[in-house]
Amino acid sequence: MKSKPLLMIVFACLFLCSCAPETANIDTVNDEGKAVMALDYRDFDRAASEMVQSMIKSGALAKKGGGRYVMTTGRITNDTMQRIDTDQLMAKVEQDLMNSGLVVMTSAVGGKGAPDSMVHDVRDIRRSEDADEFDQNTIAAKGQLIAPELSVAGKIFQRNIRYDNNRQQVEYYFQLMVTDINTGLRFWQNETVIGKRGSNRSVSW
Amino acid sequence: MKTVLNILICVLALSVSSCYQPYDQRINVREGIRSDSLENNIATRPVLTALSALIGEGIDVTKLISTTNQAGFMEIQVSGFNRSYETRRFQFKVEWFDGSGMVIGSKASTWLPVSAVGKSPFSFSSVAPSRDAADFKLNTRREQ
Repeated sequence: MKSKPLLMIVFACLFLCSCAPETANIDTVNDEGKAVMALDYRDFDRAASEMVQSMIKSGALAKKGGGRYVMTTGRITNDTMQRIDTDQLMAKVEQDLMNSGLVVMTSAVGGKGAPDSMVHDVRDIRRSEDADEFDQNTIAAKGQLIAPELSVAGKIFQRNIRYDNNRQQVEYYFQLMVTDINTGLRFWQNETVIGKRGSNRSVSW
Repeated sequence: MKTVLNILICVLALSVSSCYQPYDQRINVREGIRSDSLENNIATRPVLTALSALIGEGIDVTKLISTTNQAGFMEIQVSGFNRSYETRRFQFKVEWFDGSGMVIGSKASTWLPVSAVGKSPFSFSSVAPSRDAADFKLNTRREQ
C-alpha cells in the first residue's frame, strides 16, 4: 500500500520529464521555424540582404575612376519597443559591403559600434608616461588616419496596429541612407518593411 | 452524373478554345476585374478554380535575364506566371559562384520572399555580392 504513492510519484516525474521540449540547434541556413511577432535573426538577414542588394544595384557606391570609398557607420536609431543592438543589422551590411569590394570601412571614427577605441588608445600612448616603454617607430604616426568619404546612417522603428478583436499587426521599418560626407548629398536611401500579423496575446517587445 | 460531366466538358472546351486576349501583353487584367466572357464568368469560375487546384497549377518560370551592371556585378531577373488562381507566396535564395565554381559566401544569400498573384505574371531579381560572380544557382521553397 505504501509503495503505491511512491510509484505514482515516480511515474509523474517520468511523465513530466518526457514532456519537456527537446533543445535543438536552429538550422540558420534553412530555418523552417514559424514566424514570431518580434524581430528575429531571419528578419535582420532579410533586411540586410535587401539593403545591400539595393546599394549594389543602384551603382551609388561605384567610385568614379575606380577604387573604393572609405565608409563609416553613423547613427542607427532603434525606435522599436525591443532591445535591439543595431549592430545586428549593420554588422551584416558592413560585412557584405566590404566583401563587395565597393567600400572599405573605417574603425577610426563613426557612431556606436563603428569605431575601434584601440585606434585612439594607441595614439594616446604618445602623450602618456609609458611612451618611453614603446619603440617609437611602432607607434602609429601622425597624419595616417583616413577620413571617411561616405556615412551610412538609419533608423529601425515599429508601429503596432490593432487588426481586429483578436489580432494585431506589427510593422517594422528599416531605413538606411548613404551620405557623401564632403558635400552632404544623399547618394542612396532605402526602406524595407517587415509586417507581421498575429494574436493580440503575442508580445512584440 | 452525365449532365455534370457534359457541363465539365463544355467548360473545358470553352476555356481551351477561347482564351482571354490582353490588349497588350504587358498589361494583365485579372478575372473578376475585367469583363466576364463566355468561357470565364460567375458560373464557370468556381469550376475552373476547382479544376486548377485539382490539377495542381502553380508557378511557371518563363524567362531568365542575366546581365552585368555598370559597376561590374552580375544581375539576374527571373520572370514567370502564376497559373494558379490563388496567390502563391514562396521564398527564393541565390547562391553565387566565382569563375572556378567556388561559392561566394555572403550574408545577402538568404531566403527572400516573393508573392505572385493568381493568374498573373511576376518577376524578381537578385544581384551578385561580388564582381567575381560568374554563375549562380537559385532555389525556392514554400513561404514559412
